[in-house]
Amino acid sequence: MISRRQLVGALTNKVAEWTVIERQQELATISEGPRPVHRTDLLTRFTIVVHHDTPQGRGSAHLDINGSDGAANDIVEQALSLANAAIGPIWRSTPPAAPAKVKLIDPALEKGSLGEAATNTLRALRRPAGATVIASLELMRERVTVEGYSGFRTSWGATMVRATALVSVGERSLELAREARQISDLELEATFATAVTDLGQLATATAPRPGRCALILRADAFLHGGGLGVWSVFADQASAETEHQGLTRYRLNRAIAPGADQVAEPLRVESDGALDLAPRSAPVGDDGDAVRRFPLVERGISVGLGMTMREAARRRTDPNGGVRNLVVGVGTWADAMPAGRTIDVRRLRSLSIDPYTGDASLDLALATDRDGSGERTISGGTIRVDLIGALARARRSASLIRRGPYVGPAAILIEDVDLMA
Amino acid sequence: MTWNRRETLRALGITSASTWLWALGCGAPARPPPRAPRQISSDVRTWLRDAITRLAAVYPSVHALAVTRRRTTAAIDVLGTGIARARRDGVVLTVRTRDGSWREHVTADLSQQGVLAAVQILVGANGTRAPIEFPAPPPHPAELAPILDDTLRKRVAAIMRNDQIGASRLVYAAAMIDIDDVTVWSVAPGHDREQTLRRVRKRATRAAWNGTRPVVSEVERGWVGNLDDQDLGVEDVTGASRNALQMMTPDTLTDGEANVVLEPSVTASVIDAAVRGLFTSTAARRPEVTKRLALGANVSAQALTLVDDPTTPAAYGGFAFDDEGTPAAAITLLDAGRVAGRLGRGLRAGHVGELEPQPTHLRLEPGTQPVKQLFDSGWILEGKLSAVFDPSSDHIVIGVARARELRGGSDTGRIYADVELVGDLTTLLANVSGIANVSGTTIIRDERAGEPQWRSIAAPWVRTRGFVRARRRLS
Repeated sequence: MISRRQLVGALTNKVAEWTVIERQQELATISEGPRPVHRTDLLTRFTIVVHHDTPQGRGSAHLDINGSDGAANDIVEQALSLANAAIGPIWRSTPPAAPAKVKLIDPALEKGSLGEAATNTLRALRRPAGATVIASLELMRERVTVEGYSGFRTSWGATMVRATALVSVGERSLELAREARQISDLELEATFATAVTDLGQLATATAPRPGRCALILRADAFLHGGGLGVWSVFADQASAETEHQGLTRYRLNRAIAPGADQVAEPLRVESDGALDLAPRSAPVGDDGDAVRRFPLVERGISVGLGMTMREAARRRTDPNGGVRNLVVGVGTWADAMPAGRTIDVRRLRSLSIDPYTGDASLDLALATDRDGSGERTISGGTIRVDLIGALARARRSASLIRRGPYVGPAAILIEDVDLMA
Repeated sequence: MTWNRRETLRALGITSASTWLWALGCGAPARPPPRAPRQISSDVRTWLRDAITRLAAVYPSVHALAVTRRRTTAAIDVLGTGIARARRDGVVLTVRTRDGSWREHVTADLSQQGVLAAVQILVGANGTRAPIEFPAPPPHPAELAPILDDTLRKRVAAIMRNDQIGASRLVYAAAMIDIDDVTVWSVAPGHDREQTLRRVRKRATRAAWNGTRPVVSEVERGWVGNLDDQDLGVEDVTGASRNALQMMTPDTLTDGEANVVLEPSVTASVIDAAVRGLFTSTAARRPEVTKRLALGANVSAQALTLVDDPTTPAAYGGFAFDDEGTPAAAITLLDAGRVAGRLGRGLRAGHVGELEPQPTHLRLEPGTQPVKQLFDSGWILEGKLSAVFDPSSDHIVIGVARARELRGGSDTGRIYADVELVGDLTTLLANVSGIANVSGTTIIRDERAGEPQWRSIAAPWVRTRGFVRARRRLS
């Protein structure tokens, strides 16, 4: 088994700049079902980042390894070779800054047996009447230590909780997944209750009628697949390297879409890697760079990018730890329905986004179709939309939700889309 | 603007870029392969047997699984050749408690102390041993011959040379050989098994810009066996270049329902998504799946027979026994369009992940028609990109690299990049109106929680009917 000390010893005096991140992880997983399992894992993982200077320039490498993956000297040799394969112009790292002050550990999981905590959590979970719930819960506790070439060293504890569940009512089911830093943020009981309501509606759903309509996306729909859902398009566009290569849809200091800076409620999106108990928060990033809160879009204009150490040096600015949790500014829309036909989407079947163009296909799983003649529940149909333009102009609800790495409006209204059957 | 290789690969969206980089980055001087795992087979067996006797003193049902994995990757591109080697060991101890639930403990420390420490987590300080008569140890599997760096360099260079197109429009060309060597031990009261597998895959990648978008084309072959058992020949590699260089029709594909002929990798994509979403014991927990796929239910065209067969000689997804120690056997999933079985065998990602029913080597039986007889009016869909399947609604979205237009059985020359086949899976399978007598094998090596999963799918050209749409509009 490799130790951090061995890696640091192998790196010192061989590489210009390096960072070693050690994660000592303890996991407990409980899975319900026909074969209930209680599993424990003990793991040590390392991330090694090296910046190697040669007469041709500087090469960088990023390696993720398990604690059993061979000898420290071999790993360092491979990292150096990998760095040699990615040599670019010379640049200098920013000196280490103070790590972000952020709380990442669930007090309930700080000590004691994770297995017992998982068992107790699942046992205490109230299941909705008339539904079958098969749940799985993974609790992870880790000690992260970051050590850098300059003598920089910091350490913190963190927890992560992941739950999956299959909720069935009659002949229909929904698969759910939630991720949080603390058990209480999973809000499993509320999630199950919503799923049961939706399953009840699915039973009466009919096929959609194609045509122009306004589109309302609720949280389960726009955060489809967990994570950032439709908002991930702004994380993709905020990669400084992609922007530098000219592959982004919009450029820094320009409106993200035509007219995006002139709408009544222009969009504001910021990355906050220092948000307490958010899944993507951390004191420092993988480069050993301090994680910061910074705006990506301000009043519909692109104003910030996620800066790696290298990109920050290129642009003579400070690194910020990259794009992490997204905080989207709320609006003033209070659920007032537009005059014409409206499709109010609760869940999606699939969401596909082109990260470069922002073109997206949203396949509807459950929605309510409202027009002058009444409302009906529908399932099926596809919306094709330019997501960046649509989100830039969307009305955002005044109500706020926080789920996983997303904090922002609980619903959005996009005017004038084309629903295809 | 200066791009390095990492940025180039990422911008092109080339699959498994991390694998390429892992290998390409390793341009260190040639060195002999690392020594074989220090623990020889008999030592591992002794530790596992000892663990079983201790666990069996406390639990009514016990199993010990150990694995040593070595991965060797060689790759070549315009900047040079690289070879990377990695190793991973693991032990999974599984017990069934008296209340019927299962407990597992996993450690990466495959040593006498590591196994003992794992046992103690499950039994505590209890030092008693159950009297267990183990069967005679299995014959030791044939040793895997070490593969020298120099040999690998020559083989990847040979794949690169098999390209007969040297077009300047190709912006990236690479070849890779990826080898996973695994030795797995499975010990439980009543059985003692050991298997050694060498999974080899060879791949060539070509990329070219077409207007404002990159077009990436890959050809890949994989098997269990020796390094030189199969090869990527001139036809394969040149074909990859030709596909990357094809000029796309500069307008947007008109969405609509049409007859489609699926090339084997696209058929494989549909089959893989369907089996993982519907034909496993995990999928059967969904009431809509159980109802739709009751044993004997007629769910597809009669011409479709689908088998999962890990005993297929040399199959990339094949093995001798699964991760619960059960010897491999074929399972028929669809028999002439009727549901005939489900996958329940226990496989673990990398042999150490969570137990999960997975396909191994799927075989969709070929038909009798020559491929050209399938061509009608509609589209030929080529090059698998992605598959998203929702078992609850039966909705499937298959991403493909190219759609070629057919009219009256002939190729019109119009080709569109980045296309999706969308619809209900049951309808797609029920609409199958022709199966060719020619099959191709698609291999998949993906990862779950950082651990590899290997599977393969032998599937023929298939004609069906579905909704075809452009994946993205022209930018």
